[in-house]
Amino acid sequence: MTTSEKPHQHPSLDDPRVMLDDQIGQFEAVPPYPPRTEREAEFYSLRDGEMFVNMGPQHPSTHGVLRVVLKINGEQVVDLDPVLGYLHRGVEKLCENSDYHHIISQIDPLEYVSSLFMEWAPVMAFEKLLDVEVPRRAEYIRVLTGELLRVSSHILYQGWMALDLGGLAPILYSFIERDEIVEMLAAITGQRMLFNYFRIGGVNGDLNHEFMSRLGDWMSRAAKQHEANIGLLNENEIFVRRMRDIGRLDGATALRMGASGPNLRAAGVPFDVRRAHPYSVYPELEFDIPTRGGNGGGDSLDRYLLRLDEVSQSIRIIDQCLHNMPDGPIMARLPRLLRPRPGRAWAAVEAPRGLFGTYVISDGTDQPFRMKIHDPSFVHLQLVGLLMKNNLLADTMAVMASLDPVMGGIDK
Amino acid sequence: MTALNRTWGHLTLTGKVVIPLLFLVLVVGPIVTIFFATVVGPWLADLLGANLEIVRFVVAIGGILLFSIPAAFIIIYMELKVIAFMNLRIGPDRVGPKGAAHSLVAGLKVLTKEDFSPTGVDHVVFTWAPVIVFLTAVMTFLVIPFGPGLVGQDFNIGLLYMFAVGGMAVVGLLLAGWSSSNKYSLLGGLRAAAQMVSYEIPLTLSVVGLILLAGTMSLNRIAEAQAGWFTDWFVFRQPLGALIFFIAATAEANRTPFDMAEADSEIVAGFATEYSGMRFGFLFFAEYVNVFIISALLTTLFFGAWNAPIDINAILAAFGLSPITVSLDPGSLGVGLLIALLVVPVILTLIFAAPFYLTKSSRPAWQALVLGFLVVTLVGIALIGLLGYIGLPWLGGLIWFMLKSFLFVYVFVWMRGTFPRVRIDQLMGFAWKWLLPVSLLNLFVTAAAILIVKS
Repeated sequence: MTTSEKPHQHPSLDDPRVMLDDQIGQFEAVPPYPPRTEREAEFYSLRDGEMFVNMGPQHPSTHGVLRVVLKINGEQVVDLDPVLGYLHRGVEKLCENSDYHHIISQIDPLEYVSSLFMEWAPVMAFEKLLDVEVPRRAEYIRVLTGELLRVSSHILYQGWMALDLGGLAPILYSFIERDEIVEMLAAITGQRMLFNYFRIGGVNGDLNHEFMSRLGDWMSRAAKQHEANIGLLNENEIFVRRMRDIGRLDGATALRMGASGPNLRAAGVPFDVRRAHPYSVYPELEFDIPTRGGNGGGDSLDRYLLRLDEVSQSIRIIDQCLHNMPDGPIMARLPRLLRPRPGRAWAAVEAPRGLFGTYVISDGTDQPFRMKIHDPSFVHLQLVGLLMKNNLLADTMAVMASLDPVMGGIDK
Repeated sequence: MTALNRTWGHLTLTGKVVIPLLFLVLVVGPIVTIFFATVVGPWLADLLGANLEIVRFVVAIGGILLFSIPAAFIIIYMELKVIAFMNLRIGPDRVGPKGAAHSLVAGLKVLTKEDFSPTGVDHVVFTWAPVIVFLTAVMTFLVIPFGPGLVGQDFNIGLLYMFAVGGMAVVGLLLAGWSSSNKYSLLGGLRAAAQMVSYEIPLTLSVVGLILLAGTMSLNRIAEAQAGWFTDWFVFRQPLGALIFFIAATAEANRTPFDMAEADSEIVAGFATEYSGMRFGFLFFAEYVNVFIISALLTTLFFGAWNAPIDINAILAAFGLSPITVSLDPGSLGVGLLIALLVVPVILTLIFAAPFYLTKSSRPAWQALVLGFLVVTLVGIALIGLLGYIGLPWLGGLIWFMLKSFLFVYVFVWMRGTFPRVRIDQLMGFAWKWLLPVSLLNLFVTAAAILIVKS
């Protein structure tokens, strides 16, 4: 290294790393390699009047580090290409190299907004492999905490939705509710976000006094507060006009594209894993499966309203859980080192964003041979291309936010 | 010389700075003062006297430049605090009492930041675009009547000047968007241009009915035409016009729900994406100066300008009283004035201190005196304020004008705290399909009404 190339010096204009004015066009959203597929060749060629806009991975409203290359003509989105992988951790591979207990904490940060559901599916799959009977109290605690987290996730969704459409206030009201729920769960799990609470055969800790008193306080005002939060936006003319008829998705297409959860139910298909493939103690609980959309399919507003309906149902479930909570142990008796029989197991739960499932293949050792994770956000991201096309640039936010993807789950 | 050198060497850095300064003040200062007083002073006075109009213009420009900065600071602070209150937050509370100096410090921060221009920008245009935006915003201050006689320039086409200069801001925004060499900036600039050109039309048409009623385009005359009770304000004669003006002015100032040009969730920061340092500061200031201007314009045109909502003289006349006037001539008191100024405060302090001292035995005398002095000061301020309000029409007018204007500023801040953003096609459709026909209707109805009443 010569003296002129000290690492702290700014590069001079002769340095090839410095971008010159006539080189600017090279740094487009276009990938630096020749097109590999027909679709890529078609997408990355511009017609007259079109240009690429590189939205993300650092953009205020792509919900994490999603990058969407938009081909726009004026304000009109002609075509788009989502680019993934900025948050890829290789969770499936991490899980295949951890023993069964450790997997719970590896899989936790997938969907960081509702992490208990990420624990629930693999734990259920392992219990199937091990033939474990989970104590009823543990099942009730799982449902209780899960539904609390579903409420928090849907309320947060409401705030993000408003923020992406330019409304600044609702997100802060959402966070009040979420913070209360998260603090409540922290009282029994010790964590605010990545709880690591479910265990194979039960849960980690019993309900304690702080949790119950906070939950009582919250339940006494939850329904009323939910009504107030609904009133923040539902009758706002600007909000409704922004969402109505944007990103309309009909039931058949939604099923064909593999959608699930609220996005599918908002398209008029009453599919809910809690009822369709009952697990845990859901068969004993009373709740409705709200649907919206009807024959023409659901738009962004339907997807938004459906989640608000689900909050009311979740509050109903929480109420029933509190009334029916049985006494008893919270963990099944299991050996420290788990070596399930060789075999395969699939378990799915109804996460706030849809069907979250894990498919586990055991080879008889203390680590799974293969662990496939089915994440609803990833499936719903397929819909983005379908729903955003031929809308305006501003509608991409209304569609993206209404599908409610979480990048942690998409990139895995 | 060596002695002088040694002495100089022994001085600290402060001394090395202070001693030359002292020399300058004590020796050069008097010489310059005498020179100015004897030679330049009379010449300058003659020159200024001969060109009084130009002097008035320059002073007005200086005044509005000086006024626009604190006005923007106050509105920024207001926005932070009011929206924080609406969001159940505390807002800025670190600098100054209740964070009052926060926007001042933010302004200093903007000044000290690196003025960065990215590769590929058109440097000349990139540098001058914020200046254009800021200047057009500040220039419109020139015709706003802050009080009776308190107007920079009383043009007879004040309103036209207002729209002409205000409409030039779009050039700055477009240049900023184009020169930034960034697609988000480009989209923001184009959005701003489309939006402002569209809303310029209903904005201008909405006040034509008012111009017909007032018979003038001078903002000063329009203000005078609304004197008397609050029922004389133009908002009660032009309610539709006021509504259209309010909506269109919101769009002109790029405020929520029409802040398409800097929609942060869509196009990052629009035309301001690539700006930093004071160039961004200019764009930022211009936005808040614009908020004040549309509030001031709304006040001037539709809400009685500097007139109080209640006509006190009319009430007094109803009771058979003559209007209150203050005819205080301090000079006529002679030496009595001096004695009064020296003696009266002392006596009043003692009188007001007495109850504090007598009602609580544990209170020491000096505390009672301090309290008494404070009371006297407050009473004095209130009295002087009252005298000023009655005796100086411009002071009372200024107070009412500021009150009303900041009420509207509050409304704009409130809207920002609550509304989501509309979409660009809805925005344009609203302007062309609704506001334009309705403002034309308003104009025709007003004209017809005037014809019928006249004939």
